[in-house]
Amino acid sequence: MTALTKGLLSALFVLVPGVVAAQSVVNGGLIRDLERLARGEQVAGVPSADSVSPGARTIAAGTTVTSTIVARGPVDVFGKVAGSVVSLSGNVTVHRGGVVTGDAIAVGGRVVADSGQVGGEMRNLSALPTIFGAAVASGVTQTPAQRTVQSATVVAGSFGILLIIGVGVLLFAGPNLDEVVVTLQGRFARTFWYGVIGQLFALPGLLILIVGLVLTIIGILLVPFAIVAYCIAGAGLVTLGFLAVARLVGGALWRGRDASARTRTLGALFAGLALFFALWIAASLLVWAPLAGAVIRAAALAVTWAAMTLGLGAAILSRAGTHRRFASTARAVELAAWQTPTPVAGIVAARRTVAGGAR
Amino acid sequence: MAPVLRMRRALLAVVALLASGNASAQSAPLWRNVDIARQLRDTLPQRIRVQYAAGRVDVRATNDPMLYMMHLRYDEVRSIPLHRHDPEQRSTALGLESRGGSIRTSSSSESGELRLTLPRTVPLDLDLEFGGTQSTLDLGDMSLTSLRLECGAADAMLLFSRPNRLRMRDFEVNIGAADFTARQLANANADQIRVRGGIGSVDLDFSGTWTHDLSVTTRLVLGKLTLHIPPDVGVRVDVQRVAAGFEHSGLVKRDDAWYSPNFESAQYKLRVRAETLVGQIEVQHSSR
Repeated sequence: MTALTKGLLSALFVLVPGVVAAQSVVNGGLIRDLERLARGEQVAGVPSADSVSPGARTIAAGTTVTSTIVARGPVDVFGKVAGSVVSLSGNVTVHRGGVVTGDAIAVGGRVVADSGQVGGEMRNLSALPTIFGAAVASGVTQTPAQRTVQSATVVAGSFGILLIIGVGVLLFAGPNLDEVVVTLQGRFARTFWYGVIGQLFALPGLLILIVGLVLTIIGILLVPFAIVAYCIAGAGLVTLGFLAVARLVGGALWRGRDASARTRTLGALFAGLALFFALWIAASLLVWAPLAGAVIRAAALAVTWAAMTLGLGAAILSRAGTHRRFASTARAVELAAWQTPTPVAGIVAARRTVAGGAR
Repeated sequence: MAPVLRMRRALLAVVALLASGNASAQSAPLWRNVDIARQLRDTLPQRIRVQYAAGRVDVRATNDPMLYMMHLRYDEVRSIPLHRHDPEQRSTALGLESRGGSIRTSSSSESGELRLTLPRTVPLDLDLEFGGTQSTLDLGDMSLTSLRLECGAADAMLLFSRPNRLRMRDFEVNIGAADFTARQLANANADQIRVRGGIGSVDLDFSGTWTHDLSVTTRLVLGKLTLHIPPDVGVRVDVQRVAAGFEHSGLVKRDDAWYSPNFESAQYKLRVRAETLVGQIEVQHSSR
């Protein structure tokens, strides 16, 4: 074997796999494009990759093609195409006398059919669709890791929002929250049943309200406002009750003996909310394992429902914490802890509580 | 550090954490442009329904022999183009559909766009459903037999720049919380117009070419209703209000309604029934 032959053979060994690889990449891209055409653009009868014209394609006058045409270059139709015409890169022009019974689609180009006939739609696309159908967006395009992160983010976000609401309630409606907590402590069983009854009567109550307003004729105009107000009131009661349950449970977990009353209350609320959300976080972290995730989610749902029912019952019983029957006997010192003494000309206006009653 | 200050700092930290969490939850939009058109086969009546949730909308008439020409710029992650045509029923649905199960919001300041042109010569039963859009609709010189416009939270401008070619038997506008302006409504060639709104301002201008009398019913829960009426048109306004002001310069009260001095003598008459719960009703009309 001469040196020249050896050189040629070695060059062939190097080149052939490269060309084959390049060809397979091109074919892979084309196959994907054809799939996107069929599934994303709902083009019927998309041909196989082998039947796609590599460049420009012309349908001569007097000829009839009875299948869908896909070309990688511009397509000119003078004859008849019983199907759709697609150019993956260029214009589709239906000339005078030309007929396309299906759709004419130009990707990265334009469909020009001033004189020709297109039975279906004419579509100019900037690119082929990359996402198909309705179900894809919600699940299939995301990896399990992405779904887990997204799910955990939603739970963490909900926790944060509830915590902010909790801090707001502590700052602006602390006595009401205290009252709901005390009601929970004092009438635990009754709050649960009140909560169940509250849930059962939520919708009938709204209907009675609407019917009542409608019967008054003039009240008809107030119906939208009444619905919104009713929903806000209901959501407020549930939130207040749930925060009270979280504070009660959190108080049992974290006592914070050395901390101030304010820190103790906040810490208890945080610990309680964290406990309830721990189950949801666990469920979100197991989103990739359907069975385990479902079991944990069901447990989280049951615990949350029980807490919300208890809380709602306590909120109803205590009239959103405005009914101070329990508070008056139970927590005079705790209430005072939230008051800020206001110095007036150097004299402390409010009396501070002193341990053991000593001054 | 004071306890209140500590609490405020903690609150700020939580808000920052939430904001970063939300930012990561948003997925990047995938913008795509499509132009979709269908050639006109005949001029028999058609029913066209357009639905579009959010973005800019522009609808107008064309002389091109097309049943519709629609340009869409949309986020592929969140929506799918809607373009269904049923030749048997002679009905078409256009616009955008949202993908099921997607609750993510766009982090981009860019917005989508719908530009739609419809034929002048085809009798159309047009049904437009918009969500939070900024809409400009010039439906002049078309052949509308019916128009139903529904806007959610929108800034909508409806114009009849030239007279509608056919008598419109049904013209209804439903607004959620929006600023709605309609210009040259006489050109709509409608017998009756119904406008219902939740919250917002409704501004109706009845200039244009009058060919017959017109009845208008407006119902607005909260907001301002302004009616601009040409001086040569006689107007009768029947007002139902709870806590709304009523400005009626030039109108005179007779029986239960307000009349313009030229009501009996005017060639064309506009009868308005305006209902508002809270807000303001203003009629701008000056007789010659």
